[in-house]
Amino acid sequence: MSVEAKTAEARGRGVADIIYTPVAVVGVKTTVVGVILAVLGLIGFAAGLARGEALTVWGGYLVNLLFFLSVAQGAVMVSVSYYLAQGRWAGTTQFRLAEAYAPFLWVGLVLFFGLYFGRAVIFPWVLHPIAQKAAWLNTPFLFARDGVMLFIMALLSSIFVRLSRGEAARAWILSPNDIEFPPSPIRRITPVLGILYCFFYSFLAVDLVMSLAPLWRSTLFGWYFFAGAYWSGIVTMTFTAVILRSQLKAGNVFTRPKVFHDLGKYVFAFSIFWVYLLFAQYIVIWYGDIPVETFFLVQRVHHMPWSPLSIACAFLIFLIPFLVLMSVRTKEIPSILGLVSLLGIIGMWLERYVLVEPSLSLDAIPFGLTQLLITLGFLGAFILCSIPGLNRVATAATAGEPIGEDE
Amino acid sequence: MSTIAVIASFGEEDQCAQAVHELRTAELGELQTFSPFPSHKIQHSFARPKSRARWATFTGGVTGVLTGLAITIGTSWEWNLNVGGKPVVSWPPFIVICFELMILLGGIFGLLGFFAFSGVPALEPAFGYSERFGSDLFGLVVRCDEPKASRIEAMLREAGAQEVSREIINQERVVADA
Repeated sequence: MSVEAKTAEARGRGVADIIYTPVAVVGVKTTVVGVILAVLGLIGFAAGLARGEALTVWGGYLVNLLFFLSVAQGAVMVSVSYYLAQGRWAGTTQFRLAEAYAPFLWVGLVLFFGLYFGRAVIFPWVLHPIAQKAAWLNTPFLFARDGVMLFIMALLSSIFVRLSRGEAARAWILSPNDIEFPPSPIRRITPVLGILYCFFYSFLAVDLVMSLAPLWRSTLFGWYFFAGAYWSGIVTMTFTAVILRSQLKAGNVFTRPKVFHDLGKYVFAFSIFWVYLLFAQYIVIWYGDIPVETFFLVQRVHHMPWSPLSIACAFLIFLIPFLVLMSVRTKEIPSILGLVSLLGIIGMWLERYVLVEPSLSLDAIPFGLTQLLITLGFLGAFILCSIPGLNRVATAATAGEPIGEDE
Repeated sequence: MSTIAVIASFGEEDQCAQAVHELRTAELGELQTFSPFPSHKIQHSFARPKSRARWATFTGGVTGVLTGLAITIGTSWEWNLNVGGKPVVSWPPFIVICFELMILLGGIFGLLGFFAFSGVPALEPAFGYSERFGSDLFGLVVRCDEPKASRIEAMLREAGAQEVSREIINQERVVADA
């Protein structure tokens, strides 16, 4: 059946009769805030370099690059997994929500090449190459391969998002009672994206995190890294949903308890997945007790000042979501779910921080005004990139669509 | 006063659920339904409190964790196991045992709890059951006192019941079924 015919058929059932009035809730004010934050970030970045805090500046830059790329890509992967699992229960709003942050992938790609100027500061193998690993850990190869990976992911994600916003995909999402595959372009691109995401984000984890402590190795680290990235996408979506609920007009999708119940289940489930991978990795290293593997954990878990931060991550990412979101009722209360997901966002940021910084500055936490400003700058860029997408979410959320059958 | 059973059959799930909802709101009698497939709508219309079986699962889970701790810590102490110079009682590997036993005992207790609280298996068909309730019709049995029966019948017909019949049941039978 052609796309037009399918759309017409969906129309016949009345699901595509919904009138989409563009809603611009996220507009001027948010843009101004985003621009101010981005400018503050630039100022912090420049001032930090001028004051000779190169390690602090580039450390903060890398942490934020990893975190915000994780969120943007992780969220796109949530949409991809909806398609892979035929998850039409959510209605279009959740697809739009997951795709809202995708434009940041391009900004992230550009910012990644910014690391080139700080490479000698943060990557120890640039000035002191390790002979056995030089074939993999050398500047041209690293920037070429990671640049290509990020480019491919940004490109495929953009194509995917465009397809997912198309008529055919929307008609498919809105007809949950048919047993039918998603439109064929989406059916082709989603498995590719899923597999490449796992490969490429594993490589990024190795290249941009593990190589900061180039003697350390863990075969599970890549998996752990991209699973965390996926979860950071989920919590950011959930937090955005809670914010939009109060911003949009009454009766929007986010006022239905089922939507928060679903998001809450998602936050809960993948928080467990994160801790599972963390533990799977920890116990193997703990049992083996080989110095070349243990030092990375010892620095983070037993060494001050990092020890409390690492433990805080376990609380923010696993224990709090697990204990609080166990009940259906707490999942459906927006303030509780919003708070848990905000703590989750902070926890994921902290986790990326604890992965990166102890390799650069073992005995002191370099967080200060400079890193704060850089973080705000990344946040500003992220917000600016998300505005058009969030307006799409707002439009879908207020259109009064059906969202799955058992409400 | 004799006790009456009003037995109604419905062709549609929604009608049956609606009838349950209305009769339950009016508090006219004790309800029981039969459906050819597990129906969430009818289940929701009863608005029953959550099953007590969940406490059985919880108890099993806690028992499992405690058993796991007892086995791992107990044997380590008893045999003074020194593995690679680590402390005798080291928690990371114990987590795995505790977790697995929590799942195992939680599952077994949950299953037993389900049988204990659900009344399954029922070896004789419940009162009012007809074979069509296992194929194409939804059945609703209302036990009530005789004076209320005609009002209930009217409500059931209004809700869309295909057939409504009335049977007199003796008191002992009600107690046994309840």
